[in-house]
Amino acid sequence: MRIIKTVIQVTVLGAVFMILLTVSAGAGINGISGTTFNLTATTGHVSTPDGGSYLIWGYANGAGLAQYPGPTLVVNQGALVTVKLTNSLTVAGTGVAPNVSIVFPGHQAKVLPGNSGVPGVLTREAIPGGTVSYQFKATNPGTYTYYSGTDSALQLEMGLFGAIIVRPSSGSNFAYNHQDTRFEQEYLFLLSEMDPRVHQRVEQFGPESMAATDYLANFFPVLWFINGRAAPDTMSDAGVPWLPNQPYNSMPRMHPGEKLLMRIVGGGRDLHPFHHHGSHSRVIARDGRLLQSAPGRGPDLSHEVFTVQSQPGSTIDTIFEWTGKGLGWDIYGTPAEGPEFVHTCTTNDGDDFDDTTFEYCPDHYQPIPVQLPITQELTFGGFYSGSPFLGLLGSLPPGEGGLNPNGGYTYMWHSHTEKEMTNYDIFPGGMMTMLVIEAPGVPIP
Amino acid sequence: MTTKLKYTIIAVFLGGFMSMLTVRSANAGISVQCPGDIDGDAKWDTMGEVQPSPNIKCLHLGAGDGFVTMADGLSQYIFGFSDLTGIPTNPVNPADPVTVMEEGMLAATFPAPLIVLDEGDEFYLTLTNVGMAIRPDLFDPHTVHYHGFPQAAPIFDGVPDASISINMGSSLTYYYKVNDPGTYMYHCHVEAAEHMQMGMLGNLYVRPVQNGTPYVYKSKTYDKFVYNDGDGSTGYDQEYPIQIGSFDSEFHNASASVQPLPFALMLDDYPMLNGRGYPDTINPDPLSAPAENGGKVSQPESSLITGAAGERILLRISSLDVTRFFTLASMGVSMTVVGMDAKLLRGPDGKNMYYKTNSVTLGGGESVDAIIDIPADAAPGTRYFLYTTNLNYLANGTEAYGGMMTEIVVSI
Repeated sequence: MRIIKTVIQVTVLGAVFMILLTVSAGAGINGISGTTFNLTATTGHVSTPDGGSYLIWGYANGAGLAQYPGPTLVVNQGALVTVKLTNSLTVAGTGVAPNVSIVFPGHQAKVLPGNSGVPGVLTREAIPGGTVSYQFKATNPGTYTYYSGTDSALQLEMGLFGAIIVRPSSGSNFAYNHQDTRFEQEYLFLLSEMDPRVHQRVEQFGPESMAATDYLANFFPVLWFINGRAAPDTMSDAGVPWLPNQPYNSMPRMHPGEKLLMRIVGGGRDLHPFHHHGSHSRVIARDGRLLQSAPGRGPDLSHEVFTVQSQPGSTIDTIFEWTGKGLGWDIYGTPAEGPEFVHTCTTNDGDDFDDTTFEYCPDHYQPIPVQLPITQELTFGGFYSGSPFLGLLGSLPPGEGGLNPNGGYTYMWHSHTEKEMTNYDIFPGGMMTMLVIEAPGVPIP
Repeated sequence: MTTKLKYTIIAVFLGGFMSMLTVRSANAGISVQCPGDIDGDAKWDTMGEVQPSPNIKCLHLGAGDGFVTMADGLSQYIFGFSDLTGIPTNPVNPADPVTVMEEGMLAATFPAPLIVLDEGDEFYLTLTNVGMAIRPDLFDPHTVHYHGFPQAAPIFDGVPDASISINMGSSLTYYYKVNDPGTYMYHCHVEAAEHMQMGMLGNLYVRPVQNGTPYVYKSKTYDKFVYNDGDGSTGYDQEYPIQIGSFDSEFHNASASVQPLPFALMLDDYPMLNGRGYPDTINPDPLSAPAENGGKVSQPESSLITGAAGERILLRISSLDVTRFFTLASMGVSMTVVGMDAKLLRGPDGKNMYYKTNSVTLGGGESVDAIIDIPADAAPGTRYFLYTTNLNYLANGTEAYGGMMTEIVVSI
């Protein structure tokens, strides 16, 4: 009898596992996948929402455009990954284009014999017009960074950096090989900053002219980015034509009760306190290593934060969850608000949450205990739906709202060094985006 | 029927009527929403007002401007919050003047009024925008953002982009059911880089329900704890909120003189703990009121830490710095970090991850709960120091021997 029971349990578990695997994930992270990547270091220009346009050096996918940041490389655990780098950098004036390279922190990268470039300080480099090939085995799943190991003070500032995601053998809905690292949504937050003086000088006079300045030593950024875009561009679609060198966006979305994996990469030189409004997240890994006391334990050394301390060159995987539990009022409203607010809350699985909508049933039909001021007394935000309830649109004065068509709950996710929420003297902007918690049933592509 | 009883009945009837009125007219100008409160002062003190339950808490804050004095004597113009609790906004006698705007004008304090809550509280915070007297050209709305409160709903999260903010001359009551103990903070989120640099920042913490239940830890009995630890290991004798912040004097001067604000060049030169630079941090009293705001006390919070030998001192350290990270170090005594970001520092299976350290590093929006054990043999009068090891910030503007530092003094 016991054996049969175990068999049934295993079968049920297996079925659940299969269902989990078929849930589409990874849509939130744009990148290129495979085992062989051809990257080209080349020039381009980034646009900032204050009207700025700055020269960058970026990694391109093959013959594509330079990207700020470089392409996100998505690989599977165990894969032997080859990255061939071509140096197509050009510089202004009579100067010589620099060598360029890639380092892969967290991986044991080697240079391929036969295409080993020339020696550099941190790694082997590609000379102008030349190539170099690196290879590493993606042994450990997790979030990593890659960047130029050549004249890094300048070349990182110019944009030669990117992210690597190694998917675990458990499947694409897991961050690591443990059940407690499962997620429904995942997003990359590659944080960087920019000192435009460097870019302007390199564009006009070439990189050798940096020697006449103290710009690198006295780095003073005035622009801040998530995935290469400054707010509000962070919230535009990925791949929009007006940002050809900044193809990635940052627009996290989820449903109540889901787990959202934040892959946070310190891509620049500064620390950033990345504050995610809404609720805590659980930091499960640093630099591609699960916070566990022994292999197989799962993230038993994880802890919860409301602000993620992102450090330069470091990565953090943290799982965000929002349920609305214990608010003391019903996020879907009460019948007193109108007939469209009639809804049920049913839980058969033992938790306090509705089995399909994930509503917190003890708060079911509890009204908001205070009255909101009238329209004339309020200033409205662009992401306000006009209603305090989830998934509903309320009336707003003409010209207000409009950025939240599904009536989701929106939360600012941003650097809490508030100065970094500006674009060169203009607020708001910079290292900022909005999370949208969509009502159950609203599709998230 | 005695006169007294009659009066009580009238008061109760009136109370019910007025509270109905309060709800009905809650959305007109300045009004406080606080259950059981009749005269709109966010207190239960007159006319038979009854606090419906010990877990109902009310507060009335004003949002406006004011002045503070740096430790080197420099006067700084600020935006900030003031405590307007106790001023009737709904006077029963119609002849009584509504004094909220008068009281709130130029009354901003730095840091903002301390908010202390208990786990399980239902917190009604009314925010009244009293306007900026020195900047009549501005008509900024304001909000309260409870930084770190879990399971927040946008309507009460205070992010103007995501929901609503309150205009001048009106009130908005925030409701939050406080389910989780820990060290949080609060600030205005409207034009955050500006309003926060200008000083709309405050301490906020929540005490756990375990308080009052005695636990023996290391052969001492405690009844106050940082979290519901189940074993008394976060027990303490005294607690002190310590908030890291700093001002860019040029930014404040530009704001006061209606000049363009230097966001890009923002560089803080007045590092502070709880709104003061050393040695003002160790002044146990409120700093004397500046003349510029009409003589209203604007820096009430001392950072002087005192405790007897053998006592455990809880530091609720938070940062709302707008421009950079700071490291705070304890000289002479070490700290045990038991919590971070309003969570007990334990793994999901309860594994203890407390650690001993002499320094903690916080960026804006981070918090740490650190317990200092005063040595049992410490002589009364012994001084230890809590100071930033970003040593160039041990200054008040151009004046040395100041800045982000305070003292831990062993009491008799």
